[in-house]
Amino acid sequence: MSTQTPVIELRHVDKHYGDLHVLRDINLSVHKGEVLVLIGPSGSGKSTLCRTINRLETIDSGEILIEGEPLPQEGKALAQMRAEIGMVFQSFNLFAHKTILQNVTLGPIEVLGMSKAEAEARAMELLRRVGVDAQAAKVPAQLSGGQQQRVAIARSLAMQPKAMLFDEPTSALDPEMINEVLEVMVELAREGMTMVVVTHEMNFARRVSNRVVFMADGQIVEEGTPTEFFDHPKTARAKDFLDSIRGH
Amino acid sequence: MGIAEILQKYGQNYAMAIFETLSMTLLCFVIAMGISIVVTVMRVSPIKPLRLVGDLYVQIFRNIPGVALLVLVAYALPNIRIVLPWKTCVEVTVVLLASAFGSENFMTGINAIGVGQIEAARSIGLTFTKTMQKIVIPQALRSAVLPMTNLLIATMLTTALGSQVPLNPQELTGLVSYITTDSTGLGILPFMISAVCYAGFSFLLGLLGNHIDKKVRVLR
Amino acid sequence: MSAHTTSMRDALYEAPGPRTRRLTAILTIVSLVLVCIGLALVVRQFYVTGQLDAKYWAFFAQWSTWAYLLEGFLGTLVVAVTAAGISLVLGVVLMLGRTSPIMPISVVSRVIIDFFRGVPSLLLIYFFFLGLPTIGLYLPPFWMITIPVSLAASGVLAEVFRAGVNAVPKGQTEAALSIGLTPGKTMFKIVLPQALRIVIPSLISQLVVVVKDTTVAYVVSYPDLMQNGRVLITTHDSVVSVYLVTAIIYILVNFAINQLSIAMARRSGNPIISRTTENPT
Repeated sequence: MSTQTPVIELRHVDKHYGDLHVLRDINLSVHKGEVLVLIGPSGSGKSTLCRTINRLETIDSGEILIEGEPLPQEGKALAQMRAEIGMVFQSFNLFAHKTILQNVTLGPIEVLGMSKAEAEARAMELLRRVGVDAQAAKVPAQLSGGQQQRVAIARSLAMQPKAMLFDEPTSALDPEMINEVLEVMVELAREGMTMVVVTHEMNFARRVSNRVVFMADGQIVEEGTPTEFFDHPKTARAKDFLDSIRGH
Repeated sequence: MGIAEILQKYGQNYAMAIFETLSMTLLCFVIAMGISIVVTVMRVSPIKPLRLVGDLYVQIFRNIPGVALLVLVAYALPNIRIVLPWKTCVEVTVVLLASAFGSENFMTGINAIGVGQIEAARSIGLTFTKTMQKIVIPQALRSAVLPMTNLLIATMLTTALGSQVPLNPQELTGLVSYITTDSTGLGILPFMISAVCYAGFSFLLGLLGNHIDKKVRVLR
Repeated sequence: MSAHTTSMRDALYEAPGPRTRRLTAILTIVSLVLVCIGLALVVRQFYVTGQLDAKYWAFFAQWSTWAYLLEGFLGTLVVAVTAAGISLVLGVVLMLGRTSPIMPISVVSRVIIDFFRGVPSLLLIYFFFLGLPTIGLYLPPFWMITIPVSLAASGVLAEVFRAGVNAVPKGQTEAALSIGLTPGKTMFKIVLPQALRIVIPSLISQLVVVVKDTTVAYVVSYPDLMQNGRVLITTHDSVVSVYLVTAIIYILVNFAINQLSIAMARRSGNPIISRTTENPT
């Protein structure tokens, strides 16, 4: 599988926040159809790493390549690239002044130049897929967190992305809503979507991912298949981390 | 003299004063909105000198008392050869004051939006211009409805500064001081008529603002 | 961890790429030049009209000028502080009336509040200056300015207090009633003290409105900063310099009050209640 150009590739990426070295020499590639899970203690840089991939965060040095092309720095080219990579946030970030349907059609109409009728038909289809089509006319604040996050996924899917980034998609949810979102993500993975997922959901990582990347202090400490990583962690840091989350 | 006699003698004046107050209010508010948009754009621009000028503008005109500004415009400016008609002096003063508060309202609206909304817009591929058009400006405008209604009321009350310069015809506050000196023994009735006009318009505008706000408010 | 602590006006822009950086740099220089040209034009206008002449500014080097302005400022301060005190009390009374369960009291309070909020303070001042004397009531100038300013502020303060009372968690009232306090005691011992703490930043920012309203004191010839400034103008025959200096003093004082209120709001975490926006007069 590594003969193909990776969909996402990071080479020697470094980033500082003032004195804090948040990303240290990150090398990572994600191939088509791969589900990569980023885990690690809070403050390890995993969210930052995820956000650098569509340049919501800039990097100090190194290279980020999307399908072999360097990540654009600004303007239309950057917007174009972002349209091709979906992003799902911890806090959903649905557009507060638009209805659920408008949230999903905005990108296709404004960015892809789709007609309103077509965008709406496709949006309804996607909303049905994630199970919130009944709420299409409501505004985000009227939906539960789980429903909002599923709409956010539909909003990303409406752009027909090459890959999707998930930045702790279930961390802001009440426990009973986590599964409805994870199920949608499992379904996506099954359909072959290329995914980078920052999460604390170890069951999801074990069941769905192809590769687990463990980060601490801005570095990739260890990576491997879920079985390797969860059953036979190689580093002491990974062992400590796994013990600490199994502790409760 | 009762209210009927006052209205018989000065009814015409009151009608004209109401028109003056309301037309000045409307004109000043519209211009102030235009200026506050420009000032707000300057204040949120990434260009430091513009930001500084915008911030300074707002700090000056939100902190200067209306009378202190009016005397500058009406009595100091002629000394540097800028002579404006009396009414224009009042309007310029009201516009300068109102636009500073208008910009503050817009800034509050922008601050309420939240970084997440903008990041979400970026990540579906909206350019800067589209993000502004589709996300930032609509949300800022919607949350500005109520503060702007209050500003419209405040603008009306500020036109009372017109009583401090000779206007012809006079607005509602200037008219009262004219009537009271024109005929004696009217008591407090002339004041009450003007006051009821102001309070009534304030009340109506408040209702209108609440009504619009309920329709467009962004639930967060 | 991420950029969530930056202010919204910075969040509107992303970290610039090379092209954006260049454009920003060029626009910065162009705008700087324009600002400088604008300033130069203003200074030139002052210069050619002789307003920069020493005779207009020399008397600001004399202590007596400042002493006189300071005296006026103290006058402003006395009116403002007295009016603030009165409006504080009136504001609480009106708020209690407005939230009273007795319908007539609540309706009357509401009308009074809306009236004082919906009428220009200048009209109120004329009422005390020109209106009351027509029915034989003559007040000293100090009260002719202080009372209307207090009344105008009390309507706004009543609404600020009401917002403060609403911000006190309901559980506080329930707990107080459940240990047997009367509704009145609950209000005065439990709710009001907490509400007061919540609205402190808002009260301070309302002080700006009071200070602004006092500038009309010259109408009743009360010697405040503005009135003393006007006297200086006649003695030194200098309109521009004196009005500019007085305006700057007012701006600085109000700016300081606003900053104080913002700092208090930040420290206590209680927002400045702006639903009842201030009147720019």
